[in-house]
Amino acid sequence: MAIVTRPSLAARIAARARAALPLGWHEQVESLRYEDAGHGFDALGLHPDTVAFGAQALRFFYERYFRVRSSGAENIPGDGPAILASNHSGALPFDGAMIYLDVLRKSRPARVLRPVLDLFVPGLPFVSTFFARIGAIGGSRGTVRYALEQGELLLIFPEGTEGIGKNFSQRYQLQRWRVGHVELAIRYGAPVVPVAVIGAEEQWPQIARLDGVHIFGIPYLPLLLTPLPLPVRYHILYGEPIDFRGRLTPEDADDPEKVASAAAEVKAAVAELVSQGLAEREGIFR
Amino acid sequence: MPTTRLLLTGATTPIGVALLRALLGDPSIEHVLAVGREPAASLGLPLGERLSYERVDLRRSRARRRLLFGPARERGVTAILHTALHRRAQDSGRRIHELNVEATRELLHLAERHPTIDRFIFRSSAAVYRIVADKPSVIDEEHPLNLGPRAPQWIRDRVEADLTVCTLMGLSRLKILVLRCAECLAPDAGSQLFDYLQAPVCLRPLGFDPMLNLLSLGDAIRSLRLALACECEGIFNIPGADTLPLSRLIALAGRRQVPLPEPLLAPLYRLRTATLGSDFRYDLNSWRFHFSGVLDGRRAAAALGYRPTMRLGWPLGGGSPDGLE
Repeated sequence: MAIVTRPSLAARIAARARAALPLGWHEQVESLRYEDAGHGFDALGLHPDTVAFGAQALRFFYERYFRVRSSGAENIPGDGPAILASNHSGALPFDGAMIYLDVLRKSRPARVLRPVLDLFVPGLPFVSTFFARIGAIGGSRGTVRYALEQGELLLIFPEGTEGIGKNFSQRYQLQRWRVGHVELAIRYGAPVVPVAVIGAEEQWPQIARLDGVHIFGIPYLPLLLTPLPLPVRYHILYGEPIDFRGRLTPEDADDPEKVASAAAEVKAAVAELVSQGLAEREGIFR
Repeated sequence: MPTTRLLLTGATTPIGVALLRALLGDPSIEHVLAVGREPAASLGLPLGERLSYERVDLRRSRARRRLLFGPARERGVTAILHTALHRRAQDSGRRIHELNVEATRELLHLAERHPTIDRFIFRSSAAVYRIVADKPSVIDEEHPLNLGPRAPQWIRDRVEADLTVCTLMGLSRLKILVLRCAECLAPDAGSQLFDYLQAPVCLRPLGFDPMLNLLSLGDAIRSLRLALACECEGIFNIPGADTLPLSRLIALAGRRQVPLPEPLLAPLYRLRTATLGSDFRYDLNSWRFHFSGVLDGRRAAAALGYRPTMRLGWPLGGGSPDGLE
């Protein structure tokens, strides 16, 4: 016997958001490919209606507030596993949200980006559920491995919380560059696309941080100069994909020296894109 | 060689009875020695040349020995399919441990020196896995087990029994298979979620909506049959065809859901158990109501040829077992 259940309020809102998306966005969301695990969600929790809701909710920031401009979206692989590696900043991860929306809007064919979250994020109420529904995944090795094996497109910030928590005086200085993303790229044959985000490093000047505060597992509490992020203009630059497959074998992922060298290569590519973006922009707000 | 003569423990459970029906419908199965604690009538199946029943209390060591070196040897059993674990989560104590762990351990060791048995299949469960925020939400067979010292006996026993069987894998002459099955959402199958969904109002932690993977009775039976037919050994996750968020599950079950702050849930459910009676224990594995835990079944797909195909039937527990012939 089949039971017809009324969709929850959240599901109804998400479905309406999907229907109300402007044409360009709507087409992209409609053409997203994902593996439905049986009830409209994939195994990692992705739900296309919530992707549409996220796009609808954050479109204002993308189009009006941060007025995102991007170049090089054609460098995003159309299918198969791939990793976007970007600089990170801004107190709150607006940079991740803007890259996410930009990939959703401009990737051909349309792909949903899987931002890889820090390990404490799945423990945050509401946030964890929303992030999972739009496609973000926890940063545990097993989940990331599974996503790559499923041919997903990941977004990794190799600077981690040191990047998002950098003070204003450290803007556009890449922090300690972790190597996990290249280790995964080498092991699973995924190209790494270097990405630079210009603007986010000035969006919300951080003057200090309280390291002793760990509400819900967050690593620190930032002290910010302004109550809201500044309406800086975002420039997102996608570089040429770096493919290690011709040079390194999956077994090389266990070699710390080769992994460090590959990570340094990605870091240099991101740094170069950052320099290029800074040189090309006409001002923080333009 | 595929198994044709087997011993099935836990035969009077819903899964046991459904499996027996399926096996009796398979002409390649020559004989099933069904074992349970209840009278033979509770099987509801005619005994005969292809099906015999032994009423055995597996908590007793002497009874276990008699079973294996008596009826099992006489009938030329070549495989043990061990599914008997205590199902009620509210029970605990030495006698429960005796069934869950010691019976498993001794059946395994007795099988090792048995003249006809060469295969041991243990139906374990996904409850052995540790579900926490910083561990993968898609669980493969290498996922950490729930060995926490504060884990309740229901969990600890399952982990210990699972590890007891796994420890001997590759060291014994027996071919050993451990099937870590997703939760089988059926009545009297030891499913905590089934008990959870019996309440008209289901409480869940505010702000969390984890992904769950659930197994239908039909797929559970199919996985056991594939394990019997397989020559391989190893540990295999057995996922179900239903992967969905907790909120969706509650909605499908036709229940109301009330998200509440986490600290309230355990006391409220304890109160419910004390006043209304229920086998559901929120504190048994409360993290599963926060963090996703979906079994990765790729190893079982490759080695056993098992892929979940049978979705759960709604309403739960109504009508005939879903997907069964």
